[in-house]
Amino acid sequence: MKMGSKKWIALLLVFTMLFSLAACGEKKEKPTGAEPTVGATTEPTKAADGTTDGTKDNNNQEEVVPGWQKNASDKVDLTWYINFSWFTTPWGENLVSKTITEETGCNIEFIVPAGNEAEKLNSLIASDSLPDLLTLGWWEGQVNQMIEDGMVYALDELATQYDPYWFEVADEGRIGWFTKDDGHIYGYPNSSFSPQDYEKYDNISSNQTFLVRKDMYEAIGSPDMTTPEGFIAAVKAAAAMFPEVNGQPIIPVGAHEFGATGNVSFDQYLSNFLAIPYEKDGQYYDRYTDAELVRWLKAFRELGAEGFLKEDIFVDKRAQMEEKIAQGRYFCMLYQRTDLADQQKVLYKNDPNSIYIAVDGPKNSKGDAYTLPGTGINGWCVTMISKKCERPDRAIQLCSYLMSERGQHMTWLGVEGVTWDYVDGKETMKPEVKELLTTDRTAYDKQYGADSCYWMFQDNAMSLKWAVETPEPLGQMERWTFPYVISVSQYDVSLAADSDESDIQSKVDNEWGVVLPQLLLAKTEADFDNIWNAFIQKRKDFGIDKVLETKTGMMNVAKEKLGLK
Amino acid sequence: MTEMSNLKKRKKSVTMRKFMNQKYLQLMVIPGLIWMFIFNYIPMGGIVIAFKKFKITKSIAEAPWVGFKYFEEFFQDSNFSNIMINTIGISLLKLIIGFPLPIIFALLLNEIRNLKFKKFTQTISYLPHFLSWVVLGGILTTWLNSTGVINELFQALHITSGPVSYLGNPKYFWGVALISDSWKELGWSAIIYLAAISSVDQQLYEAATVDGASKMQKIMKITLPSIKGTIAIMLILQISGLLNANFDQIMILKNQINISRSQVIDTYVYQVGMTLGKYSYATAVNLFKSVIALMLLLIANLSSKKLLGRSLY
Repeated sequence: MKMGSKKWIALLLVFTMLFSLAACGEKKEKPTGAEPTVGATTEPTKAADGTTDGTKDNNNQEEVVPGWQKNASDKVDLTWYINFSWFTTPWGENLVSKTITEETGCNIEFIVPAGNEAEKLNSLIASDSLPDLLTLGWWEGQVNQMIEDGMVYALDELATQYDPYWFEVADEGRIGWFTKDDGHIYGYPNSSFSPQDYEKYDNISSNQTFLVRKDMYEAIGSPDMTTPEGFIAAVKAAAAMFPEVNGQPIIPVGAHEFGATGNVSFDQYLSNFLAIPYEKDGQYYDRYTDAELVRWLKAFRELGAEGFLKEDIFVDKRAQMEEKIAQGRYFCMLYQRTDLADQQKVLYKNDPNSIYIAVDGPKNSKGDAYTLPGTGINGWCVTMISKKCERPDRAIQLCSYLMSERGQHMTWLGVEGVTWDYVDGKETMKPEVKELLTTDRTAYDKQYGADSCYWMFQDNAMSLKWAVETPEPLGQMERWTFPYVISVSQYDVSLAADSDESDIQSKVDNEWGVVLPQLLLAKTEADFDNIWNAFIQKRKDFGIDKVLETKTGMMNVAKEKLGLK
Repeated sequence: MTEMSNLKKRKKSVTMRKFMNQKYLQLMVIPGLIWMFIFNYIPMGGIVIAFKKFKITKSIAEAPWVGFKYFEEFFQDSNFSNIMINTIGISLLKLIIGFPLPIIFALLLNEIRNLKFKKFTQTISYLPHFLSWVVLGGILTTWLNSTGVINELFQALHITSGPVSYLGNPKYFWGVALISDSWKELGWSAIIYLAAISSVDQQLYEAATVDGASKMQKIMKITLPSIKGTIAIMLILQISGLLNANFDQIMILKNQINISRSQVIDTYVYQVGMTLGKYSYATAVNLFKSVIALMLLLIANLSSKKLLGRSLY
C-alpha cells in the first residue's frame, strides 16, 4: 500500500517534468516557424483585386503603390506596445480592426501595461524584448534612449526600402520637426498640429477647462469666479446651499489625482488659466514659482483651512473620482474635459441640468485671457518600429496605411457605406451609428471601434475636415476653449533621460509632489509662506537653475526648427 | 587504518542506502531546487548593478563601475532619515504589538470548549487573510474616510468628537498600518501556534489538573513553555524582516498627504527604481536593506541559540 502511493507520486512527478519540458520545446519551435522573409516582399506587384477603391488615394501619382495593398493576402501577426494602462480595446473584435486586418493583412496583438507604465516599458527595454511597434508619449525619456542605442528603425530608411508610399502620406512639417540630428526620423506623431495649423483653423480645442455643476452654479446666481474673492464666495455659497448630493456630502472643489509629482489641476492647468508666460527675457521661465500662482494657491489654502478642500481629493484615485463625477458630487473643478466625457453622459441621462459646464475660471490679477495649450507639433504620442520586429516591411506599410487618408477615414469614421457615406461631398456618419456613439461609447467601441478608438496615428488636423460640432453634453465644454487655445510647441522640451538635469528635475518634481498638499492644507498663511520659502530654497539647492539654463537652450533650438523668433 | 576506512565506507554506504530508499521523495525535491536556483540564485547576479552605472538599453557587462556612489547618494538623500524612521517605526510596532497578538489569540482559542464556536471563530478570524491588499485597500480607504463607517462608529460611541481623516493625516498612518495588518493576519498567524499547541502532550494537563493547577497556571507553565521553540523561530523570522514593512499594504494605503509617515524603503525603491528607472540606485538601496536584514537574522538567531537553545540552523 505504502509502496503503491509512492509510485503514484513518482509517476505524477515524471508527468509534471515531462510537461514542463514539452512546454519549453514548444516555445523554441515558434520563432523558427515564423522565420522572416523580408526580401521577398519588396518586389512590386499590381494591386490585388479587392482593393480597387484603395487606389483612390493615389490617383494623381503614377508609380507609388501603397505597400499595404501588395500583401493583404499574406497574413502576419504584429505585436504593438501601448504605453498607457487605460487602453483596453482589443484588436480584431470590432468592425474597424477586422477591416484593417483584412485590407492590410496585419493582425495586431496589443501589449498594454497592467500597472505602472514606466515599469513595464523599462523592463521590456532592459530585457531586450521590445514588441514590433511601440506607441508612447513624445515626452518620455525612453524615446531618445531607444533611438540613441539603436533599438528602433529609422522610419525613412524603412520607407525607402519597403514602402515609398510612406513619404506620400507623411506630413512634411512633422517629418521636419521629428527628424533627429543624424537626418533620420524614428517616430511618427499623432495629434500633431503645426503652428501654421493654429492660424488656419479656429476650432482647435484644448482639454483644460474649469467646470462647474450647471444646476448648482445657476442656483447660486451664476457668480463670477475669476477672482480669488469671487471664487471663495461661490464655493462657500454652493457648499451652504447644497451640503449633500444624493445623501452624500458635497465636494466643493474637485481636482485631478494627486501624484508623486504634484497635481496638474493645481499646478499646470492653474498656471495656464492664469496666463503665466513660458519665457521671460529670452529665458525659460520657471512657471510654478510665479506670484500669480502663489496668489491663487493661497486662495485654495484659505478654502482648505475652512474645510472646503475635502480629504477625498487628496486620497482618491482615478476610479473613485470617476464614480464621484458620475454622481455629480463635485461643485467645481479644473479638469480635463475629455476625462469626464463618459461620466458626463451618465449625468446627462439622469438629469440634463446636473451636467458640468465650462465657465470662466481663475484669472490673473490683470484679468488676462487664458492661455490654454492645444496639442502642438509634438502632438501626443510617437509610434516607432523596434529592431526586434521581424517584419519591418509590413510594420511600415501598416503605418503608412494608418497615416493615409484612407486609414484616417477608417479609424475616425469606420467603413464607408457601413458607418458613413459621402453626403454633399462631405464625410458624414450614419445617424444610427452616431446615436450609439453619443449614448454608449463602450458598446460603440465593441461594435464599430471608429471615432479614433485606435488613436495611435490619429491625425487631428486632417480630421477637422469632416469634424462636426460635438453634440451636447460635451460640445459646450469644447467650444468654450476655442478662443483661448495657443500653441506652445517651442516650450515642449524633454530633458534627456540619464542626464544630470533630468535627475534634478525629478528631485524637484518629487519634492513638489510632497509640498503641494502641504501648501493647500496649511493652517495659516504664515505656515504657507514658510513651506513655500523652504521649497524655493530646496529647489535652488537641488540645482534648478542648471535645468532652466538647459531648457532655455532647448527652447531656442526648437524655435529655430519651427521657424519662430 | 583499514578498519577506519572500512567504517567510513560502511557509513557512506548506509547514507547511500538511506538515500536510495528515499529516492522518490528525494526526486520530489528536485523541481523545488531548480525553481529556487532559477528564481532566487541566478537573479542575485544582478546585484552588481548597485555598483555600476547601469543603463537599461545596455547590458550589465557594459555598464561602468562606480563603486559605492549610489550608497553614498542614498545616505545623503534628503528622504533618507524619514524613510528609515518610517520603516523601522512601523516594523517595530508590528513586532512589539502585532507579534504577541496571534499567540494570545491562539491560547484563547485553545481554551474554548465549544468545538463549533471555536471553528466558527477561527474561520471568521482568518478570512481577511484571503483578501488581497489591493481589494482590502479599496475597502479601507472608504471605511477610513472622514465620512466613512469607522468615523460614524467612533462618533456614535463618543470616542472622537468630530470626523477624523485617518488616511489624510500623517500622524495616524502608523496606527492604521499596525491595526489593519494585525486584524488581517491575526487568525492566519494563529494557525501555526494552534498547531504547536495541539501537539502538546495531554497527559501534562491531566497531571496538572490532578495537582490542582488553575487554567492560568496551565497556560503559563505548560502551554507556553511547550510552544517556546515555535515562538522563537517565528520571532527570528520576524526580526529579520524588520526592514520589510509590508510593501503591498503601504503602497495601497499611502497617498501624497500622509507620505511623510508612509514612505518606507520598499515603496521608495519601487518609486525610484521602477517608475523613475534609476535601477542602480534602487538596487543599492535594496542591497543595503538586505545586508541589514541578514545581520538582524544572524544576531536574532545567535541570541536565540544562546538563550533558548533553539535556532533556525
